[in-house]
Amino acid sequence: MSEYRVSGRGRIDTAQPVSFTFDGATYRGFKGDTVASALLANGVHLMGRSFKYHRPRGAVAAGSEEPNALIGTRRGAGRFEPNTRATVQEIWNGLETSSQNKYPSLKFDVGAVNDAAYMLFSAGFYYKTFMWPKSFWDKVYEPFIRAAAGLGVSPTEEDPDTYASRNLHCDVLIVGAGPSGLAAARAAAAKGVSVVLVDENAEAGGTLLSEPQARIDGKPAWDWLASELAALREMGVRIMTRTTAIGYYHQNMIGLCEKLTDHLAELPADTPRERLWRVRARQVVLAQGALEKPLVFHGNDRPGVMLAGSAQTYLNRYGVLVGKRPVVLTCHDSAWYAAFDLHRAGAKVQAIVDTRGSVREELVSEAKSLGIPVKLSHTASATSGRLRVSSIRVNPVSGNTVGAGEKIACDAVLMSGGWTPSLHLFSHTKGKLAWDDDRTTFLPDVTPEDCVIAGASRGLWGIEAALTDGAEKGRAVADALGVAGNAVAYAVEDDRTGTGVSHKELPTDRSPGKAKAFVDYQNDVTAKDLRLAVREGMRSIEHVKRYTTNGMATDQGKMSNINGLNIASDALGKKQPQVGLTTFRPPYTPTSFGAFAGYHRGAHFELTRKTQIDAWAEENGAVFEPVGQWRRAWYFPKPGEDMDAAVRRECKATRSSVGIFDASTLGKIEVVGPDAVEFMNRMYTNPWTKLAPGRCRYGLLLGDDGYIRDDGVIGRMTEDRFHVTTTTGGAARVLNMMEDYLQTEWPDLNVWLTSTTEQWSTIALNGPNAAKLLQPFVEGVTLTEEAFPHMSCVECTVAGMPARLFRVSFTGEIGFEVNVPAPMGRKLWETLWEAGQQYDITVYGTETMHVLRAEKGYIIVGQDTDGTVTPYDCGMGWAVGKKKPDFVGMRGLARPDLVAEGRKQFVGLLTEDGSKLEEGAQIVFDPKQQIPMTMVGHVTSSYESEEVGQPIALALVQGGQNRMGDTVYIPMPDRTIAAKITSTIFVDPENARLKI
Amino acid sequence: MNAPISSFDPFALVETSAAQVRVASPCGRLSLRARGDLAPLNAALGLTLPEKIGQRVSAGNLEAICLGPDEWKLETETGAVAGIEEACAKVYAELPHALVDISAREATFVIEGVRAAELLTLGCPRDIATIEVGTGRRTVFDGATVLIWRDGESSFRMDVWNSFAPHLFALLDTGCRELAAEAA
Repeated sequence: MSEYRVSGRGRIDTAQPVSFTFDGATYRGFKGDTVASALLANGVHLMGRSFKYHRPRGAVAAGSEEPNALIGTRRGAGRFEPNTRATVQEIWNGLETSSQNKYPSLKFDVGAVNDAAYMLFSAGFYYKTFMWPKSFWDKVYEPFIRAAAGLGVSPTEEDPDTYASRNLHCDVLIVGAGPSGLAAARAAAAKGVSVVLVDENAEAGGTLLSEPQARIDGKPAWDWLASELAALREMGVRIMTRTTAIGYYHQNMIGLCEKLTDHLAELPADTPRERLWRVRARQVVLAQGALEKPLVFHGNDRPGVMLAGSAQTYLNRYGVLVGKRPVVLTCHDSAWYAAFDLHRAGAKVQAIVDTRGSVREELVSEAKSLGIPVKLSHTASATSGRLRVSSIRVNPVSGNTVGAGEKIACDAVLMSGGWTPSLHLFSHTKGKLAWDDDRTTFLPDVTPEDCVIAGASRGLWGIEAALTDGAEKGRAVADALGVAGNAVAYAVEDDRTGTGVSHKELPTDRSPGKAKAFVDYQNDVTAKDLRLAVREGMRSIEHVKRYTTNGMATDQGKMSNINGLNIASDALGKKQPQVGLTTFRPPYTPTSFGAFAGYHRGAHFELTRKTQIDAWAEENGAVFEPVGQWRRAWYFPKPGEDMDAAVRRECKATRSSVGIFDASTLGKIEVVGPDAVEFMNRMYTNPWTKLAPGRCRYGLLLGDDGYIRDDGVIGRMTEDRFHVTTTTGGAARVLNMMEDYLQTEWPDLNVWLTSTTEQWSTIALNGPNAAKLLQPFVEGVTLTEEAFPHMSCVECTVAGMPARLFRVSFTGEIGFEVNVPAPMGRKLWETLWEAGQQYDITVYGTETMHVLRAEKGYIIVGQDTDGTVTPYDCGMGWAVGKKKPDFVGMRGLARPDLVAEGRKQFVGLLTEDGSKLEEGAQIVFDPKQQIPMTMVGHVTSSYESEEVGQPIALALVQGGQNRMGDTVYIPMPDRTIAAKITSTIFVDPENARLKI
Repeated sequence: MNAPISSFDPFALVETSAAQVRVASPCGRLSLRARGDLAPLNAALGLTLPEKIGQRVSAGNLEAICLGPDEWKLETETGAVAGIEEACAKVYAELPHALVDISAREATFVIEGVRAAELLTLGCPRDIATIEVGTGRRTVFDGATVLIWRDGESSFRMDVWNSFAPHLFALLDTGCRELAAEAA
């Protein structure tokens, strides 16, 4: 047994000893211990250094609210986590832990020089100190702040753990498995009601785990707890431990983070480390309990100074005495019981110091009977001890006068500043809080969610009160669900009810301006900092918080918010509600990125859509690029080729013989119905009425504003059926836009839309030999100029497969797009590939497709257009139906700005020196003008062009269509490039090559 | 999981004590859209199209599920699609509608086993318990639109577009193992 372990106490399993390390030293504890309880059992209080002043710190609490005892944990290779709360991490054989924020060692830390210089590091220190000289920012201040910022060390290795997520629906979710949560579960768990009860701790029970003296319905608390948990399970209640409700989102969706393996020495197979649950509950009961507040006085942060309730937990739950000669300092009855418990367990309590003038007689007499000295109407003005508290200085207070100090030697100070109802999740619901002046605290008022609050989290005190309230709330939610809840009543003996008062910082006989009386332990914010913030003009608690960083640490103000508010409101001379409370935001406790990412990491990080021909491309050495959700073959390099060489070869082969291209990713929408043509007329700029079945047309889609949104070739398969194609990235967007118009503007039209993108594999053949290659496979149509002219479409058979064949060209060569049912795509591809060998068929990727289309001046929506380009800007007025009564964007096109002179227009550019321009480069008319120059456009597309014999570019240039032949300039960092404005069509302007 | 869906083995892709997932054999699928008095279409199809979303009706080897106020999905044998198209075309003048062959658009996972319903909760935010046996729902799984058919208490089918299938299967695969480890 370790020195501070009390035999026969606690819920640890002494039959299962556990060894772990802390800063390299090996410690022993037992199964059921946390790192903090095991270290305390070994007499170790010093567990870390504070953030700003590097002051020595120990555990101040016993639960997830702990601000000080943050450690690094290593659970084997790659499994390092900083900022783990030692009060939560369970120990197991082989666990390695380390302290943080210290150099070179925890006991001797050079950063503690900040502590001596504390007068420099006051509130707003950063804003004041790092302002000048300005030139210091980059080289001096920022590196300094970055080096000093952050707690712990970020992990550097890839996390080998897996994370999971699940959805869960239930009738009632209860957060917190203390007395009120347990009672709520029992009352709500009527027949047919699904109840989920969650608790962040390793075991359910809450307060009951720390108060074994109570007897519920005649049974000792722990016996009652065991039988109650068994009974609840029997009733079908799902009880989840090590599961934190991290956030309360809209419409009763609650996020839970369940920790599955951090407490295990051996990792089970196929088991994630954490699981994020998205729970949708019809009713929620918040039974989060209350958190004890520290008292604010000089030296209240020394290791050994901790919350009285936590000391009681260490004793009763873990069998650990946090000190053998503690002093209790309190303003609430609860700490008196902690004193009695510790005293009875063998500690010699040196004194109970209460700030109140009168305390319940039974408490005082019990203290006397145990021989514990009692000091009422006292304050604390200092503590001493370097790495562990060794004494406390207490002073009598009479009215506003603080008397002379008296030093009491001790090895622990157990403080209680009263209790704050835990309102975090309630606050997430945007619930309103009501200020309770008597209890100096906020209580829950109304919330827009289907949610009730039970027990200590609404300010009730004592086990019986919590049980009774929980049962009542459980029945209330059952009522709300329309079922009769279970009637339950509880009788509790040895219940420890009590009251207390609340304080700002404690009065002192010394200069308050020099007191290091901490409010926020983790961020090293003192009462003095808060008062300074108010003196310097901060009026709202929101401003005070940001100026001082009070409540901004990883504990999110669980201990500091109410103390901070009390001090700020005192300094402002206003009531607390007028100063306000900062909003709690999710997550309730720090949550790993892994839990949020869930399954979406590694290969499953993001969806990658692949065509049926993708595998062939991969086998044949394609380099891929992402396009929307798809990955597409970019180019197909042969050994020794770089991208430029591969693209040059692919372009040349396609223009001289035949190229094959996977166009399956193009969006496809089947528009069917008697009003299909009317719908097309209204949707697209082009006229469709006279388009005969079996013919296709290039369609242009605008937004309401008249700007180009999408384009594609559209075939009229029959009178009432159109095969619409869209850009790859635009498919979903275009379908949504069409559905939107159809459902909201034109519900009268008898036409329906079906996405057929994935129904078809689409193979494009382009080049002078395309028809020759394809013809032998086609049944039902002859590929001649007469029988199947350019811009025709037909349903036919290709290589024995049912097909929709289009004669279209995005290259300027003879072109076909063959659509066959998707899974047949690869077979057709391989058939054509084999037959194409006689023509030296070449496979090309998206880059070659881009070059070939640019040589013809065909736009790519989203590259050559940017959402501010009209059809006229692009020189595509021909695509706008002049006689149509209306179409989407028609009104937009008439806006004054869109018909004004001098708009940026789509043109070609050829550089004078034959160099290739950079896409996105800005264009000016006069390169000699003063900087900043007037920019008149930019380069949208730029490629090497074997066919043209020099690089070509497309650009948007102010009034460009009337500047043919003019020279413009493209200033680059090293030089200015001159370029001549040309037509956008660089190759075969007569379209002679389209002819078979 | 990079393979296109057409290359999946038609047998069980993953099988654990919790659940198993396999790819269903190809079948005929059609999207049917219409409104008004459906009698002509009912006659053409030889069944009464269900009018409640999620409801299914079958006759012979044809099954229809209602997906929206004017939307149905028809499933049948691969060879029967042309016949259905023909029969419906005959009533087009009387009741205009849209019938589109989507047989090749999708793949179907068959998901079965004691914890099959729970497996779906890994990616589907909808309460699986509200999908009664013999009905189905269009919903999402891991961010992709899917159609879930509940054929039995622990027997589901999930229709998904081809290119989404490998991504979804990867999660189903992980889930089958995770659930099995949990039960162990």
